[in-house]
Amino acid sequence: MLPSIMENTTDDYRIQSFDLDTQMLLKTALKDPSSVNLEKVSDIIMDQSLKDQVFSKEAGRICYTIVQAEAKQNNGNVFRRNLLNRLQQEFKNREETRGRSLQEWVCYVTFICNIFDYLKVNNMPMVALVHPVYDCLIRLAQPDALMNEEEVDCLVLQLHRIGEQLEKVNSPRMDELFFLLRDGFLLQEGLTSMARLLLLEILEFRAGGWLLSSTAHKYYYSEIAD
Amino acid sequence: MSDWTRGRRSDPHSSKPENRKRGVDGSLRANREAGGSGRENGGHTDGSYRYSEKRHASFTTPESTGPVSRCSRPADWGSQVDDDEMRRDVHRDMQRYRRRILGAEVTQRERKTSSGSSESCDSREGENMETDEAVLLRRQKQINYGKNTLAYDRYTKEVPKHMRQPGVHPKTPNKFRKYSRRSWDQQIKLWKVKLHAWDPPTEDGQDKVLDIEELDLGDVMDIELDFPTLPDSQNAPASLPARSLSLEGEDCSGTPVKVQKTETTVEPDMA
Repeated sequence: MLPSIMENTTDDYRIQSFDLDTQMLLKTALKDPSSVNLEKVSDIIMDQSLKDQVFSKEAGRICYTIVQAEAKQNNGNVFRRNLLNRLQQEFKNREETRGRSLQEWVCYVTFICNIFDYLKVNNMPMVALVHPVYDCLIRLAQPDALMNEEEVDCLVLQLHRIGEQLEKVNSPRMDELFFLLRDGFLLQEGLTSMARLLLLEILEFRAGGWLLSSTAHKYYYSEIAD
Repeated sequence: MSDWTRGRRSDPHSSKPENRKRGVDGSLRANREAGGSGRENGGHTDGSYRYSEKRHASFTTPESTGPVSRCSRPADWGSQVDDDEMRRDVHRDMQRYRRRILGAEVTQRERKTSSGSSESCDSREGENMETDEAVLLRRQKQINYGKNTLAYDRYTKEVPKHMRQPGVHPKTPNKFRKYSRRSWDQQIKLWKVKLHAWDPPTEDGQDKVLDIEELDLGDVMDIELDFPTLPDSQNAPASLPARSLSLEGEDCSGTPVKVQKTETTVEPDMA
């Protein structure tokens, strides 16, 4: 491949954090999936997503491309199957992960939500992931999690990105989540002002039909010079 | 049917796959769990029945090597998503097929008046089609096993659809037609055997022919060998439905003989 093309792939898929050999492997997986060990590739992507938040935020894209490429090349789904089963394993152990490392837990949630966003089946979200995603977000809305800014931050980020889709596929659980968020905002003692700001914003965002009015946007997002 | 239900009630432990029976509409009956208390429906001596909520969690199917869970919900996400995808694909195929058949029916009716054709049931295909999701999914899985082979890959690359001749070239069995389980399984078997002609070359190509000879020809002669072209999930169907349906009669005779032809020596013969 031409150097310029290789550069674009690196940027597009945010794989700069991988060593060069792994980058090469991933690029080959994108172009010629049957020539690489796809189980290994999915493990690599999964493992990196748990460590690297920048990567996990957009890892869904590279996964989507590999899934499509494999399906087109030989009707296979080795990559997707392995990725989902890894995701499921990590999901089962999420409480333990959270106890061990908030960073890893937050990365996991970011990753699974990104996969939910990108990996559609016949243009529909994967039904198998709906409840697990909700379980993760609802966990982030628990009192102990709201005390940690990084967890609140993760929660609102995911809701911005996939909240509308999630609500469409299961509205009662979104209601359940937002009951918790309202309670948290109103009643939780010890929340940082940043956490409260984030919660207020997301409450307004959903109330506005997953859109922020321009005035609200101004309130939350313009820089106020001191 | 009432005999069957009475029999099941007195034998609550009969949960083997072989005991599964079909209802009149061809759909599979649910297995009953042990004990009568769990059942929602009381007597149904009139032969009607409802699916019980308590169904067997797993059983061994012809394709699997051990027990697999019901299609309702496998435990792992990978399988769940694969099943979802297959379900959606099957439904999409069903829509396409219905549309195709409706189009063909119109043409067939027009031809019928002039040619006085036989009892071919294809003009009523739309009403006669298989719609049971469980059956369609099972059939689709069997078709997928055949299509996920090197032989199929080589075959489709070598013989484009418009060059395919009935009887000579393997045709994917039509999952939307009503067939008995046995008939369908046999069609799949024969189709896969035919596909072997396109296996990647080995030292001894004659092996393929011997496999065919070992078939029990008694079974072969029973089944219908009229496979109309199936809508391909990737390509829009290019053939004219009316024409392909009228060629059915010619398939029934010498399948074993025709299968012996290998890839390079097919003579195009104008039917």
